[in-house]
Amino acid sequence: MQVDRLAAGGRIDRGRPLSFTFNGKAYQGFAGDTLASALLANGVRLTARSFKYHRPRGIIGSGVEEPSALVELTGDDASANQPATTVQLRDGLQAKSVNCWPSPVVDFGSVNQMISRFLPAGFYYKTFKWPNWHLYEPSIRKAAGLAAAPQNPPAGGHFENRFGHCDILIAGAGPAGLMAALVAARAGKRVMIADEGREAGGSLLNRRLTINCRDAAHWVAETIAELNTLANVTHLQNASVWAYREHNYLMVTERTSDNPSLIERNWRVRAGHVICATGAIERSLVFGNNDRPGVMLASAAQSYVNRYALRPGKRAVIFTNNDSAYAVANDLATAGVDIAAIVDSRNEVPREVRATIQETDVFAGHVVTTTKGGRKLRGVEVAPVEGGKSQQISCDLLAMSGGWNPAVHLWSQSRGTLRYDDQLACYVPDQPAQASSSVGAADGKLTLKEAMKSGADAAASLCATGPAAIPQSDDIDYSISPLWRVEQAQGPAFLDIQNDVTVDDVHLALREGYDNIEHVKRYTTGGMGLDQGKTGNINIVGTVALQKDVPLQDLGPTTFRSPYTPVSFGAIAGIREGSVVQPYRHTPITEWNLDRGAFMYEAGARWRRPGYFPRDGESFQDTVNRECRTVRNGVGVYDGSPLGTYELKGRDVGRFLDHIYSNIMSTLKPGQGRYGLMLSDDGLILDDGVALRLDEYRWIVSTSTGHADAINSHMEELLQTQFPDWNVFITTVTSQWNNATICGPRARDVLAALSTDIDTSSQALPFMTFADGQVAGLPARVVRVSFTGELSFEINVAPRHMRELWAKIMEAGAPHGIEPIGSEANHVLRVEKGFLSLGHEVDGTVDAHDLGMGWVMSKKKSDYLGKRSVNLRREGEAVRRELVG
Amino acid sequence: MPYDVSIERLQLFSLFDLKGPRQGLTDWAGDVLNHLPKAPNQLSREDGVELCHTGANRWLLRAEIGMETDLEAKLRLETAPPEISIVKISDTMTFFRVTGEDAIQVMSIGCPLDLHADAFAAQAVSFTEFFNCRALVLRCRGGFDVAVEQSFADMIADYLDRATI
Repeated sequence: MQVDRLAAGGRIDRGRPLSFTFNGKAYQGFAGDTLASALLANGVRLTARSFKYHRPRGIIGSGVEEPSALVELTGDDASANQPATTVQLRDGLQAKSVNCWPSPVVDFGSVNQMISRFLPAGFYYKTFKWPNWHLYEPSIRKAAGLAAAPQNPPAGGHFENRFGHCDILIAGAGPAGLMAALVAARAGKRVMIADEGREAGGSLLNRRLTINCRDAAHWVAETIAELNTLANVTHLQNASVWAYREHNYLMVTERTSDNPSLIERNWRVRAGHVICATGAIERSLVFGNNDRPGVMLASAAQSYVNRYALRPGKRAVIFTNNDSAYAVANDLATAGVDIAAIVDSRNEVPREVRATIQETDVFAGHVVTTTKGGRKLRGVEVAPVEGGKSQQISCDLLAMSGGWNPAVHLWSQSRGTLRYDDQLACYVPDQPAQASSSVGAADGKLTLKEAMKSGADAAASLCATGPAAIPQSDDIDYSISPLWRVEQAQGPAFLDIQNDVTVDDVHLALREGYDNIEHVKRYTTGGMGLDQGKTGNINIVGTVALQKDVPLQDLGPTTFRSPYTPVSFGAIAGIREGSVVQPYRHTPITEWNLDRGAFMYEAGARWRRPGYFPRDGESFQDTVNRECRTVRNGVGVYDGSPLGTYELKGRDVGRFLDHIYSNIMSTLKPGQGRYGLMLSDDGLILDDGVALRLDEYRWIVSTSTGHADAINSHMEELLQTQFPDWNVFITTVTSQWNNATICGPRARDVLAALSTDIDTSSQALPFMTFADGQVAGLPARVVRVSFTGELSFEINVAPRHMRELWAKIMEAGAPHGIEPIGSEANHVLRVEKGFLSLGHEVDGTVDAHDLGMGWVMSKKKSDYLGKRSVNLRREGEAVRRELVG
Repeated sequence: MPYDVSIERLQLFSLFDLKGPRQGLTDWAGDVLNHLPKAPNQLSREDGVELCHTGANRWLLRAEIGMETDLEAKLRLETAPPEISIVKISDTMTFFRVTGEDAIQVMSIGCPLDLHADAFAAQAVSFTEFFNCRALVLRCRGGFDVAVEQSFADMIADYLDRATI
């Protein structure tokens, strides 16, 4: 039974009840609820245990800022460590608490509370040093408790990753973002507006404000309706802009889309300009036992009562240092919550703010020093700021507001600078680093009117239109007097609730010399949880500032990093799973190879090639031996198509090849080829291959499979940077030519059986020559080269003919016992023959002399790439290893 | 709903890689190459021959495969002067045709290029990436033609199957 649900109001659909379970117990909520709001409506206050001390924890926030109520989803939704405040309720949802066993009510790990004084920040680093950290790591990680990754992939659906482009990307569809979108869209700009909420409106959904004398929700609905009619607007709702990279490249994860088979879609957006309308996040206050279930951000309490129509408590105390919490008190009172008191740390409360609250005790110049209770809040201790007698006030809800932090995360990720605003007591955007601007609460414009105007002005400025009309709105002004911590706090005062970091931990870090704010962060882990310290980071900075007696501007916030909110790996990977998780390349013979049971693997440059063709009962070695014997004694055939092949054309090709090969190529006559080595600048072997001369100006250069792309880049770089005036064109023809290489003593017989008009005798077609003609009725180029050391004919044809050629070779070769051979046998044959085996003997550290191939180093050429380095090395005294067989 | 799109793996085209100064190319084979586009990343169509300006002093000729022999004869690849380069590459690229209401959405899953009509008009052509492979993209009636190096074609077909579930 939803004991704390209000009878009316809210943005939930009471006509659509939803059943769910939490820690195995059945509950009911409504469409429009989050898991957090549904739990609160059902009277559930204790939702988790804390990460380190296993202290009882409840729901503190109402959105992405939630530091406490993490849950693990099971069943079809299986995923770990989800803030309950961002989990949309659905029928059949199953969730359970994290950091506890067997339950948050009875948690064996809570024994840590008894020894918490012995577990300060840095405890692990200091204690688990001997014999080494890794001995302890598994058990500590298990005890630390966050939920594990799901065992299985999602039950259905898939992820998607796509690119997006726009003139203006607006992050956030609150009042400022919507105004900016409206102005820009009306001006004809391509606008993308992305908002992380389930519905647009931002803070307007949680507060009771009016725009143009009507409920603000009407204005939101009308604005969205207009935007959705415009073809130049892409509106992504329930979509988080979570990363802001260079050149206005941003990541947006959309959790719902018009395609029901999609689980999530990640957009990679390139924007002309970015408007950060990301709002502001309320920060917590730092006092004793400020983590007890029932302590909640004031804005969250306001959201629960207004948006989700529930009472987060029966009797509330409001603790604040600023004006915004007074509206919360009003809203809670309207919903029937008894407001026991407002505790305001400021000695002077603005009169107009005070006037909004009638018949409520306001304790100005007072603070909450600690909370009372166990697994839920029973009361608070209140004392004057300057010290003095305290009094206890009973309550089951403490709504706290430590002020507002503009959500500058994206702005900061873009490398825009921040400055500390004394009046607002927070960091606000200063100078942009990219084409971006910040508007609304994200820019420190904390009243509705200011926010809407700043959004409209920013868009109007970008679109070069006149000032836009701003709707009328009501909101009170905002003022604050910062309170970074309650001096007379009794009990642990948490700065980072998710990582259990207290004021004492920060003081310890400072005492131990970690006085840079980034060091404090790492030593204490403050701000390093899943929530990235959204509610507490600035309090850590404030605590350090107080302790060191330096202004906050001099400390600066810690670096904001992506992702702004946790992102699933699936959304990042998109459709790249299963067979496409790694790139792959096929030749026309791939299917034939697979049909013959070839064992396929990647053999460089993403080509899938047959390693060997096993037969029943053969071991791997048996197969390789058999394939080698076939080539040595009879005839084999392999698919050599993946070798890199380039056509070079121009007057200067000869001298260019003389430069990049260690031997001379320019003396070749048309129809001839030569094997050669390419060296790197430092004289080490880069690649080997064969150059063929087609005619006076045209050449073919073949490279190894794995180095094909690198050699292409190498040649282009030389031509573009060192020899820009040389007349050389390079065209990649790797996939214009496929080749089937027939090798073995009976290779010539098979070629003859194929029928060819080329004279393949050793006199007419000697080693390292080639001829064009017809083979098996197909246009072909036959090249006399040998990879295996046996008599070989490399038959090159266009890929469109490759399957036919292959079939005819197998048919013509059958009487001669032809067999396909894989890469393994090829390598064995090559090494047996004493040929260089790239990737095995050549690993980027050897030169030609190391391999006994000094003969390939020209003594006639005055210079070539790598020559000087080889000579210098050879002239030295250093001992080098040599291949001896 | 799944995407409203039709995907077709096309048969071979006649493709010729053209390099060198524009004047040199038109001097050599003006009857075929007389409409070489002047602006980069633009294409022109004439008599069934598409000429795509893909880079500085680089063009690509595309035509139906049935025209290959005739074009080869007209372009006289083997005797072209050294100042220009004309190479037949018909087999090197596999084209996919993506058409339909959601063609641009499916393209955006694999292609980082801005294919909005304002940025990529009817005569636009460009090398870019498609599912991390180097790819040529141009418009066709009702959608886009995208070409990748033919050895990656099976993988691209695999990707497109997954993208359009």
